[in-house]
Amino acid sequence: MKKQFKKGRILAAGFLLALSFCFTCQSPAAQKKGMAVSGPVRFDPGKAPYPKLSDYGFFTGIQRDLQPNAGVLPYELITPLFTDYAHKARFVWMPKGTQAKVAADGRLDFPDQAVLIKNFYYPADFAKPEADWDVVETRLLMKIKGEWQAFTYVWDDAENDAELNIVGDIKPVSWQDEKGHKQNIEYLVPNKTQCKSCHNRDAIIQPIGPKVANLNKDLRYPDGKTENQLSRWQKAGYLAAGDHGQKFAKLAAWDKPESGSLQERALAYLDVNCGHCHHPQGPAHSSGLYLQADEQDLAHLGFCKPPVAAGKGSGGRQFGIVPGQPAASILLYRMENTDPGVMMPEIGRVMVHTEAVELIRDWIAELKGNCN
Amino acid sequence: MKFTQLAILAFICAACNSRPSDPGDVDTALYNDLQTQLINAKPGDVIKIPAGTHHFDRPLLLDGVKGVTIQGAGKDKTILSFLGQKAGAEGLKITADSVLIQDLTVTDTKGDAIRVQDAKNVTMRNVKTTWSGGAKASNGGYGLYPVGCEGVLIDRCEASFASDAGIYVGQSKNVVVKNSYAHENVAGIEIENCTNAEVKYCRSEKNTGGILVFDLPGLPAGNGKTCKIHHNKIISNNHRNFAPEGNIVATVAPGTGLIFLAAKDVEAHHNEVIGHKTMGAAIASYHIVQLKWDDKNYDPYTYDIKLHNNRFERKKALPDLSKDFGKMVNVYFGGKPQDILYDGILDDKRPSGSNPMNICIDQPQTGLRFANIDAANDFKNINPDLKPYQCK
Repeated sequence: MKKQFKKGRILAAGFLLALSFCFTCQSPAAQKKGMAVSGPVRFDPGKAPYPKLSDYGFFTGIQRDLQPNAGVLPYELITPLFTDYAHKARFVWMPKGTQAKVAADGRLDFPDQAVLIKNFYYPADFAKPEADWDVVETRLLMKIKGEWQAFTYVWDDAENDAELNIVGDIKPVSWQDEKGHKQNIEYLVPNKTQCKSCHNRDAIIQPIGPKVANLNKDLRYPDGKTENQLSRWQKAGYLAAGDHGQKFAKLAAWDKPESGSLQERALAYLDVNCGHCHHPQGPAHSSGLYLQADEQDLAHLGFCKPPVAAGKGSGGRQFGIVPGQPAASILLYRMENTDPGVMMPEIGRVMVHTEAVELIRDWIAELKGNCN
Repeated sequence: MKFTQLAILAFICAACNSRPSDPGDVDTALYNDLQTQLINAKPGDVIKIPAGTHHFDRPLLLDGVKGVTIQGAGKDKTILSFLGQKAGAEGLKITADSVLIQDLTVTDTKGDAIRVQDAKNVTMRNVKTTWSGGAKASNGGYGLYPVGCEGVLIDRCEASFASDAGIYVGQSKNVVVKNSYAHENVAGIEIENCTNAEVKYCRSEKNTGGILVFDLPGLPAGNGKTCKIHHNKIISNNHRNFAPEGNIVATVAPGTGLIFLAAKDVEAHHNEVIGHKTMGAAIASYHIVQLKWDDKNYDPYTYDIKLHNNRFERKKALPDLSKDFGKMVNVYFGGKPQDILYDGILDDKRPSGSNPMNICIDQPQTGLRFANIDAANDFKNINPDLKPYQCK
């Protein structure tokens, strides 16, 4: 893990102290405690979802430090989904003796009772991500009787534990970014139905990230070893044998020029951030705009494609992508916007992903052709 | 500490932790209650929304549960306002079969007011959608918006001030829109890429365009066909076009009653098409909008159109000058509004003859202004002769 989880948080939980916070209207987050939990992972699919995140025992010790328990394996994605600059700590857990297979399209086909665990947190100072942080929510995708189900746990203000939330929430979050600017946003915790609005293939919940192409990278593990994720999963018994990395081209890292051409990085970003909806079997199929990485049809990718039901989302522009003209392309207009009626993706952000906007702008600028 | 002291502390706690009211006092408690009911709904549940104006900052979502009814206390009694919407562009977003939405109003959503997608047997009854600031390009695109559905009934609904279409049914099969009222939208009622649709006993008034039947390229539903439009009042649709450019309706000239664009098998009869300053009805192929497409299955032509027993009455005014179609009417028809214009664009693959696209117009009123505008040849042979288009 890039992130070294800090240990030894003060455990003292003062009831009077908490009351005094109420009394003086101080932010309760100013004093963090952190609650410790021990024992192995507990997962009974008949009883899930549990009311609290700690009930599963995915993390050992102080819960907010997110130290994985035995059998809980951290993972990262080459190109991740953007969520208002939240840092994400991802883990996978599977019952003993079970493993994921690789589907024909390179997605991982997880065994029953597999759980994907994604923690959203904000370092207080992005320049020093390991010094202090706020964990906001933890999302679980669990496969029960062959069907994925999505559940969100929202951390309490003291970050002792996270509680099941199905209705969603709006949480104020603040941090200092890498440039030293203070950022304050109202972070949106999705409700259970909104989870499915992204995690959706043919109206069935599906994970987005775990594909061979997007997992094929090195990671520094909590035991200090740095290893390719696919081989580590195989050693842990979590992935079927085979040279999967050879079969599926590695996804470009959207922000690493050495990982691929401008076009490869742009398409990787669009695939991960848009392609889960904008896919022939995704919820945005009615738009006829398909942005998954293997889309071959330029019109479906948005080239010179008039919008169908964009409304004000067109921004007065005529086509999704106008080669060579980012400022005339609806795709960019919607990425640059934060009006919920205009922006894309529709949910999951209240901020503009400035660096990605630059990437897409540069890509469109270098495209050849015209729409006349 | 005594219980009473604790209670007082708890009260102070609650009071000082509650955030100041957002503009419009977002009713988070009611929102959470309704959204929880929607998430936990069982087939056949009725979810009631009480009377009153309720301000929400997020959409209400229903997914995957059959036969749920979302029931307000009355169209003008239960009002869901999304003026301070922070997330999710719609007011109601539904992906569930056999849903019934009735007796409520949705206002001021950032995006579309009520969107129902990929569902079977959708009913909206006595529902209203509007934007309180009047006609603005920043309003949401659609009011009532079923898309990709099979079996749609919109009855006794009202839609106004949508920046695209008030009532818009897209890529759906077996659609009935009736007894409804669309006003001051860009398009009043729009049927797009639908198969087997019917619009009847509606009033579409003071929009930019009254009732539109469109087929567009590049959509998963493919070409639509078969639409009946009858017994509607299509009145004074002369509103300025406030749709953002890029959207197909941004090309509609103010003062247009009916438009059939790339439409197939449409019958329009017993409609009153009254008070339009540009044209009562337009029959055109997709070529007329001068956009290229890349969809080998797309059929851009309009054919098998039947207009009969409608009443056309023009507005005495100068046709629109803001859009190309309005300018065309001004230039080629001496600034006089027209009743029925046909672009005359032919599909070479169809049998030749005087009326290969099978356009039939049985409108025996005196003084009817009709023309084939010969759009394929830059309007060289504009021909007012109706004889080739007499119904057999």
